[in-house]
Amino acid sequence: MPLYECNEQQFVENIRRLIETSEKFLVNRRICLHDDAKYGPATLPNDEFKRYAIICMRKSLKSTVFSKVPFIDDFHARMYDKGENIHGSSSLMFPRMSIPYYKVEYSINVWGGTYFFTFDALFDPEIIIEKRSVKRLGTGILIHVLKYNAPDERVLTINLPKDVMVFDVKNMVRVIDYSSNF
Amino acid sequence: MRNKQKLKSVSVLVPLEKIESKISEIGFLLDGTTTIVADGKFWRKMLYVKREQTISVSEEIGDAYPKDPIITICGSKNTVSKVINGAKN
Repeated sequence: MPLYECNEQQFVENIRRLIETSEKFLVNRRICLHDDAKYGPATLPNDEFKRYAIICMRKSLKSTVFSKVPFIDDFHARMYDKGENIHGSSSLMFPRMSIPYYKVEYSINVWGGTYFFTFDALFDPEIIIEKRSVKRLGTGILIHVLKYNAPDERVLTINLPKDVMVFDVKNMVRVIDYSSNF
Repeated sequence: MRNKQKLKSVSVLVPLEKIESKISEIGFLLDGTTTIVADGKFWRKMLYVKREQTISVSEEIGDAYPKDPIITICGSKNTVSKVINGAKN
């Protein structure tokens, strides 16, 4: 079965065309949490990096990121010291300050072909100052804490008319169609 | 209302400010934003809501030129035409 990749506009317009032809179809959706160091502060565009500017700094896009202040990454239960190398674009896996994300995959199967649209939605950073107890720094100290908030499902999903059925799936197993050999 | 909804997605060479102003003019309110990565690019995705109608606007983050935000509308025929015409004019 051939797989065709679409962007958002193409995918939605394909659905619109199917609706207009009254063709019966089903939209599959898969939303899965990933935290595999695919995204980190070194590779973020400047506008997005600004959201982390209270706790870390870098010279430019894709240059090494250092911590400006000691902070706790609450999501990964990890502490970074001031001046620590926390992420580099040349060695993405280490040192790692990973931004978790949802991988969102939409697909429709029509006339033996699968049309899909996929994107990653990054978790939103929230930096606050909290009273925490840290072994090296003491008990009840004020420290920056980086929290990651999952993006709202309403913003993640493609809004479709009610008559379009969307099924949530865990995985999509590709089926090899041998019928074309005969 | 919901079963009369139309679906439309367009990519337009219009500044985001102009699109946002048209969307708020017809009564839609910003409901949420998130950062997404698609086609190897970072996008800011914004969701606008008016009762059961939704409009999502995705614009590439950074200094990319030209910027062509993607507008996806799930709403009435009237909303679709107003947004599309507003983005063209």
